[in-house]
Parts: sequence; C-alpha cells; structure tokens
Amino acid sequence: MTNCIEIHGLRKSYGSFALNDIHLTLPGGAIMGLIGENGAGKTTTIKCMLGLIRRDGGEIALLGRDILTQDREAKRDIGVVLDECFFHNSLRPRDIGSILAPFFPTWDDGLYRSYLDKFSLPAGQPVKEFSRGMKMKLSLAAALAHRPKLLILDEATAGLDPVVRDEILEEFLAFVCDEDHAILLSSHITGDLEKVADYITYLHQGEVVLSGAKDDILERYGRVGCTAGQLAALPREELVRVRRGQFGCEALVADRAAFRRRHPELPVDRVTLDDIMVFVGRGEQA
Amino acid sequence: MTGLMRKDLLVLRKQLRTYLIFLVIYGALSVAGLFPLAAVAAMIQILMVMLPISAFSFDEIARWDRYAAALPGGRRAMVTSRYLFTFLVALAAAVLGAATCLILSRTTGEPVAEGLAAVLACLGLGLFIADVLLPLCYKWGVERARPWMYVVIFVPVLLFVGAWYLGLLDWLNAVPEEAVLFLTAGAALLPFAGMLISWRISLAIMEHKDL
Repeated sequence: MTNCIEIHGLRKSYGSFALNDIHLTLPGGAIMGLIGENGAGKTTTIKCMLGLIRRDGGEIALLGRDILTQDREAKRDIGVVLDECFFHNSLRPRDIGSILAPFFPTWDDGLYRSYLDKFSLPAGQPVKEFSRGMKMKLSLAAALAHRPKLLILDEATAGLDPVVRDEILEEFLAFVCDEDHAILLSSHITGDLEKVADYITYLHQGEVVLSGAKDDILERYGRVGCTAGQLAALPREELVRVRRGQFGCEALVADRAAFRRRHPELPVDRVTLDDIMVFVGRGEQA
Repeated sequence: MTGLMRKDLLVLRKQLRTYLIFLVIYGALSVAGLFPLAAVAAMIQILMVMLPISAFSFDEIARWDRYAAALPGGRRAMVTSRYLFTFLVALAAAVLGAATCLILSRTTGEPVAEGLAAVLACLGLGLFIADVLLPLCYKWGVERARPWMYVVIFVPVLLFVGAWYLGLLDWLNAVPEEAVLFLTAGAALLPFAGMLISWRISLAIMEHKDL
C-alpha cells in the first residue's frame, strides 16, 4: 500500500532558521502527531508539503503523488485546516460550500451540510459572528466535505476548549477508520496527541529528533530521578538528556526497562510527550 | 477557478450593491442630460476596476492566499481567476456604459459613435489601470500598491489635460472625426493585450512568493 505521506531529505533555509534533512513517513489508517516548540519547523514543514513555500531540497509525495509535478491531483484528495480560519468575515457557511465545490469533483454538498448540522453551525450566519471554536469546526467541515484521503492540520485544535477538542478528535478517529485515510496533526497540545496519534514526530530546531510509534515511545522512554552525585556516576551513553535542578536531577532514558534492570536502586517513571519535549528543549546533553 | 471568482463576487456583494445605486443615480442624471456620458462611463469604469483591488484587500485581511494556494489549482488558479474577474467587471462596466449611450441616443439624440468611443476609451483606461496595479498588488500587497493606483489613474489624465491646454493635441482637429473614433477604439484594445503580459508577470511574482 502507498504511504499517505513520504518526505525524504526536506530542506528549507530562512537564514537564521533551517529545516534540515527531514524524513517523515505516514502510512494509511494512522494519525501522526507533529510536535515541537514554537519555531521548531512544524508549520514550515506543512507549508512545504502544501507548496506554500519553496523548498530548497528533498522530495515530498502525498498519496503517492509528487507535490511539485502532480500538485492538482494530489491536492484534490487532501483536506487542509491551518492554524486560523481563512474564510472572509462576510461569508456564510453556505457561501463557502458554493466556493469550494468547483475545486473538488468529489465535493458532497449533503455531507458538508451534515457536518454543519453536526457541529451546530448555522449555514446562513456570517463567519464574523462565529467563535474561534465554530470557525475551526467550519474549517474542518470544509476540509472533510470532498471526502479527502489525507487531512493536514496545523494547530487546528489550538485555543479550543476541551469539549470542542474532544468532539474534533472523535471526528479524526472516525476519519482514520478507513485504512486509506491518514491525518498529519501538528499540535502543542500533546495530551490530545497521546489520545489519538499512532505516530509521533518531534521536530527540534529544524531537525527530527524523535520519530516513531507513539505507544512504543511512551513505553520505552523513562524519567530517572536522582541526586547530582548519582547522575555523575551513571554511564553517559544510557542518558538521552539531563536536567539539573536545585533540589535534584533528572535524566531521560531511551530504554526504561533496561535501565531499571541495570540500576534497580533508582526510580524510573513513565514519561509523557510533554516531558520528552521539556527534556529536549530545556535539558542538556548528558 | 469559478469558485474563486464566485468568492470575489460574494465578498464584494455589499460593495456591488452600493455601486449599483450610484450607477442608477448617475445614469438617470446622464439620461436627463444633467451629466455628460463620458464622465458617467469613466466613473463606472473606475468604480468597477476598484473592485479587484478591494478583493485583494479583503483577501489580505482574511489571509486567504495561504488557504487558496493549498487548494487544487493553487497559485495559477488564484492569479488567473483574479484577471478574469477584472476583465469581466471592466467588460460589464463597458456594457453598462454602452447601454446608457444607446438610451441617450434615443432620448436626447446624442451621436452613438461618440458615446461608444468614450466608453471604449474608458474600458481601455480601466484595463490599463488593472494591468499596472494587479502585479503591484501581488508584489507588495494592496497597502503599498495603493499610492501607485493614484499615479496610474491621475497621471494619464493630467498629461492629457496638460497637453490639451498647451495645444499639443491641436493636430487632432485636423484629423477626420471617424479616424479619431477609430484610433480611440484601437487604443482601447492595447491594454487588453497588455493583460496577458500583466498576467504573466503576476504569475511569476506569485510562483516565487512564500505564503
């Protein structure tokens, strides 16, 4: 089966910031969470994927099609929700349906209206009267109404309350029930990704520092709590990152079970994606 | 592309309604003989050519280009639809002007050829303004392109009026009226051809732009 997303050696430089040799693969029937600090390169990666910015090098294939040479065909099967609502304030949801329908041969107006109903979005109300949550749901309804195979979402759930986020996450899970469908979801809300993502790719300063199956990452990685003296005695190769504090030290280890076997005297806890990000972002090399 | 043109129409519908009221009032004044047809034709054309510029403004506020470029068709469809929209509104303005001219010829007996020449000249002016402004809007955005809009609109008018006062256009009196009308109509077609060049420039600007 063709991967929904295949990125090889993606490079893009802005001078002070550069995406460096990004590799990313997303199979069908899965959700990949793209995480990273602000300015890590998540949006730049997504913009390169959608052809919104010119890349300096590398290859991008979406649904098996090269995004540069088969742009139109590839985009017909892709739904996009970016970090804000791009619909003009004076437009109403029914206008948006009539604007987008000619772009997509597979546009299903009945499906679009059913999403509007499901999300409680009045078809005749101007966008300017919508809350942020309503705007994001409208963007999602517009992205789903042509029955895409791949959804690309950049911070689509940012700023939404937990109830709306839960509603949208449910929609994502329903979407990937089809083995041909996939979602790339960039988000700071790692709790959401822990709920729905199958894969995680972590970008840090323009580079992929971690990529793999979410369950495997959360199962393998661990946090060791220790004193400065205990930390100094640990072999450096067993530690991914360390944090030294006033009241103690902690270290991130890549194989929790193996570490526990070797050092039964030290407590090793499970980590969250947030913990990993904090270790990489604020910690130091062991 | 039809979706993008439809978007422009929907976003500008309030403005279009206001313009329509203006046009009806000034059209009526013109039919009543209170307003010269050439002035009405020019006003219609300027108002209509302002529409695509307003569309740029609304797109910038909504940051629509980022979304539109991610749709099938991408940047090429965005640019082409904006040019088609501009051409269609300029044409609609010319048709409105021509209709007013025909009504005037029936009611006041004004010569049709002279009126139609004025309408064609205004169509040419409208398209010329668009030819220059659209690439500037793509390059710099509406706010930075706006000062050029006044330059493009007023400089040709000032040059024409200045040349008229200085007697530089006196030679036109020696040219037969039919030939002047023919030349005016021909001159109106030049900016139409210029649209193609302008479109290619805008396309090149957009294709190299990071959104």
